[in-house]
Amino acid sequence: MRVSGQVRVGGQVRVGGQVRVARELLLPAGRALPWRSPAAGAGLGLLILAVPRLTDTEPAPWLALVLLRCAILAHAVGLAFLMDDPARHTTATVPTRRALRTAVRLALITPVTALWWTAALLLVPSHIRPPTGDLTLEAAAVCVLALAAGAAAVRLTDAPAPGVSVAAALLFTAVVAPLLLPDQWALFVPPGDQRWGVAHERWAGVLAGAVVLWGICLPEPLRRGPGALRLRSPCGTSDPSRT
Amino acid sequence: MIPTVSASGLSLRYGRAQALDDVSLRLTQGVTGLLGPNGAGKTTLLRVLATAVPADRGAFTVLGHDPAAPAGRQELRRGLGYLPQTPGFHPDFTAFEFVDYVAILKELTDRTARHREVRRVLDQVDLAEVRGKRIKKLSGGMRQRVALAAALVGDPGFLVLDEPTVGLDPEQRMRFRELIAQAGEGRTVLLSTHQTEDVAMLCHRVLVMAGGRIRFDGTPAELTARAAGRVWSSTERDPAAKAGWRTGTGSFRNVGSPPDGADLLEPTLEDGYLLTLDGADAEVAA
Repeated sequence: MRVSGQVRVGGQVRVGGQVRVARELLLPAGRALPWRSPAAGAGLGLLILAVPRLTDTEPAPWLALVLLRCAILAHAVGLAFLMDDPARHTTATVPTRRALRTAVRLALITPVTALWWTAALLLVPSHIRPPTGDLTLEAAAVCVLALAAGAAAVRLTDAPAPGVSVAAALLFTAVVAPLLLPDQWALFVPPGDQRWGVAHERWAGVLAGAVVLWGICLPEPLRRGPGALRLRSPCGTSDPSRT
Repeated sequence: MIPTVSASGLSLRYGRAQALDDVSLRLTQGVTGLLGPNGAGKTTLLRVLATAVPADRGAFTVLGHDPAAPAGRQELRRGLGYLPQTPGFHPDFTAFEFVDYVAILKELTDRTARHREVRRVLDQVDLAEVRGKRIKKLSGGMRQRVALAAALVGDPGFLVLDEPTVGLDPEQRMRFRELIAQAGEGRTVLLSTHQTEDVAMLCHRVLVMAGGRIRFDGTPAELTARAAGRVWSSTERDPAAKAGWRTGTGSFRNVGSPPDGADLLEPTLEDGYLLTLDGADAEVAA
């Protein structure tokens, strides 16, 4: 049906370009973001760091490091939900690219994360605070890894909300990695340890790997490669009759 | 007539299951129905044509755009409306906000024109009254209409509808049928459904899929004609019938190969569909 006098939205309206789309998207994307999970993760992280202050005790430097790492993990687990999108299937075939939509989400969450990290560092007294730059590298690597894992889940599955699985996998990895990583690959070392510098070169490697993984998973596939992992049909074949 | 959609040799596999097997088709303006049992490959075909999932093999164009290159896919999507089988929403959005969000994603960046367009499609699906209501407070039928409005925003030339009437009550289904008929005026609509009566009433053409292949391509009348002389009534269920059931009058309606002297009945599109599937099953078994 063509309503008389309807807006013909061909060429004139669609001349915006990606920047205008991104600008218009900021507000609705902000409302569509699953804020609760990242907020819970961030809150838990700050709470972990605030425990010594609340109990009026000063932690040993090694404990301050452990608490900071736990806070980073809590925040990253929250970020694992950032790619959740209940409207994913409804908006699967819009012309705005997934990369732009993700960039808008990132633009919204990055300043909040930066503020959170500043607050987290300030909660640890300066004289027992581990080297800030190196620890920021660890935080960046873990957070980007969480986001990259979310992007991979979106790329490889049809789940609109893969956050729970990604968060569980991240937690599992965080528990298992320190136990299973051989000494020469150690990541979780204390500041006084002679392996601190080398460990942070590895953290830089983790960050680079996560960025590459994210870069691979961000664009939508034009062709399915031989390793395509979509093992189940999205709807019809795997569901019982809906009639 | 120039086809809106032209596809050849589309194949796609999920693990061991061949969801699409060398599917070729051409779609022109009007509503085309896509029938088939669960697992036939209907949703997969729709998702491939809507560029939600790429095919393993084969090629297609929609409105002259080839999605094999990013630019072609983007152009294709500018002319596409897609209503998935299980549409999802941001439940805290109102109907207006959600359709507006989709309109932005469809690159309608001029706010005034976009809001006018959003109001137009919400009017078209009869949701003007509830456009300020949160989606989580709308009924299932209303949500389905929000999803249809989202598909219609931007006036797409090719509309893909995946079982849009599932879960709707008869009145809502009739309303939806009206909307689809309106949407089919001046554009190409591909409608996947299990409801043969929807196809009989709406479609100028019907495709029947089974086992990832197209088993029938013709008009609803041609599909119905496949059952001509193969539907009969009897006082007992005929064991030779492919399908048979007792009707409200107490007699049995049988579909299959009638015995000599059988009391033949007027076939329906559903009878033709059943016999087509039976033929497809026999082909697969062979």
